[in-house]
Amino acid sequence: MIYEVFARKRRGQPLHHIGNLNAPDRELARVYAFNTYDEERWFDMWVVARDDLIEVFSQTETDGAGEAPGVRASAAGRERPK
Amino acid sequence: MTVDTIATGVRTGIADLVLVLADSKRLLGMRYAGWILGAPELEAGIACASMAQDEWGHARLLYALMRDFDHDPEQLEHERSPSEYRSIEVLDAAPEAWTRLISINVLVDNALTLQFEALRQSSYAPLRQRVEKLLDEERFHHAHGAAWFRRLAMSGPARADLRAAAESMLPAVLRWFGPDSPSARALQEASVVDAIGSTLRTRYLERVAPLLAELGVGDVLASIEPTFDGFDEATRRSTTAAPDAETITSVRGDLNREFLLE
Repeated sequence: MIYEVFARKRRGQPLHHIGNLNAPDRELARVYAFNTYDEERWFDMWVVARDDLIEVFSQTETDGAGEAPGVRASAAGRERPK
Repeated sequence: MTVDTIATGVRTGIADLVLVLADSKRLLGMRYAGWILGAPELEAGIACASMAQDEWGHARLLYALMRDFDHDPEQLEHERSPSEYRSIEVLDAAPEAWTRLISINVLVDNALTLQFEALRQSSYAPLRQRVEKLLDEERFHHAHGAAWFRRLAMSGPARADLRAAAESMLPAVLRWFGPDSPSARALQEASVVDAIGSTLRTRYLERVAPLLAELGVGDVLASIEPTFDGFDEATRRSTTAAPDAETITSVRGDLNREFLLE
């Protein structure tokens, strides 16, 4: 199973996707993420099964090239709270 | 306390312990390194590389401590014959199967870690100051061993091999903690270690028992009473066997001796 690995440099900074790995279970995914991606001094590191990622949208899945659905939705005049 | 203020008997005991741990970590690193290629998956090979690197780093800092006891680290690392090594006997031969490596990962790596945990409050400051970082690095060794041990214990053919490996290793590992002898007690009384022999064995079995239970042999293995016939407390070995010559040639860097920087 493929797992995606995320980490951040400093507290408060956004998580970045730093790579992926193959692991048979969650425990080994944790270990392999540490062994494979710990060459930098991360503040924290997270791993999640690719299958558990819920797609919100993807440019490749829409026919509006270069324009995400989210962008259209806000452009359509959704009211902002005052 | 500094080395100069330590009583001679205790001083010898610390030096013996440091060298036992240094050699065991050096050899453990070799055993992990032997599976960087050929592990079941690329990531497991990377894990072996990472664990080997940790063990060699730990061994290096332990050899450096031997200076405190008038030993030359260079000589210890590059000049000794296999029979002079004090590494734990289970590491004498390269594990020829992945199940044996995982058994070493769980049973031997945890034994060394338990011994280091007994040094957390050590009165021998140079070791105490290095032990927390070392133990922090060991957390993922345990996680790797435990995850693989559980996985292998669940599958049919591997389960029998893993059980055979654990059964063959455990008596020697339990003996390795040593007897509750006067010299061991002297180290405890000088607060070099907070536990010896039988207490360490109890702590160790508490650590590995949940994993051994996965094999369905936890009780049998836990009831093994170590015997100390011929056991040498200084080397923590009881046989005249030694690590295989090929491994020690590699450990010493014999083939590239001419490139060794003074």
